[in-house]
Amino acid sequence: MLPLSLLRTAQNHPMLVELKNGETYNGHLVSCDNWMNINLREVICTSKDGDRFWRMPECYIRGSTIKYLRIPDEVIDMVKEEVVAKGRGRSDGKGRGGAQRGRGGNRGSFGASRGRGAPSGRGGGGGTNKPRGK
Amino acid sequence: MASTLDSYVNRAVCVITGDGRNFIGILKGFDQTINLIIDDSHERVFSSSQGVEQVQLGLHIIRGDNVVLIGEIDNELDSRLNLSEIRAEPLAQIHH
Repeated sequence: MLPLSLLRTAQNHPMLVELKNGETYNGHLVSCDNWMNINLREVICTSKDGDRFWRMPECYIRGSTIKYLRIPDEVIDMVKEEVVAKGRGRSDGKGRGGAQRGRGGNRGSFGASRGRGAPSGRGGGGGTNKPRGK
Repeated sequence: MASTLDSYVNRAVCVITGDGRNFIGILKGFDQTINLIIDDSHERVFSSSQGVEQVQLGLHIIRGDNVVLIGEIDNELDSRLNLSEIRAEPLAQIHH
């Protein structure tokens, strides 16, 4: 099971989010994306020491600032149902990794093709891109 | 990388995080950035003045950025530990 699938399943559930700076945010998850950026509603923010509180109707948290999320226990059982429902499409976990490696290759050729069009566009930093373009 | 963590799935693991905390729970899943799903988890809080305090937490997603160490727990060995007798300084957090 993927952490982000669990997070997606936890939409509309209450959760606690602790940020790397120690602040915690309690609220209902409205939405999330593949970078773990999240939207919360009816939020209570608690300072690192736990001595100050702020209420806000909603907030948006950048995924990269999150340390961990605490989610209601029952949510994990709901993911299982979703995985079973999607089971076949999801079975090729390794294929996804392969596809990503493929994308890395494309990125190189993309850069190269761009390089042909405008040679100084991307090769400025490394300079090694230019020979590859030709 | 991924294949190594695969063998930990549905096992009891200990996760040490960048802020020096120690989580114990069942590893339910992970992804390529080492985000982890830890079910039925508790935190062990070490102290030099008293025994280990266990705080029940439940279901967690720990962001990979924050994960320092994942270790499989030997349940038999773990159950023999007398946590109330263990005294240890808590781990410091990572300084950048």
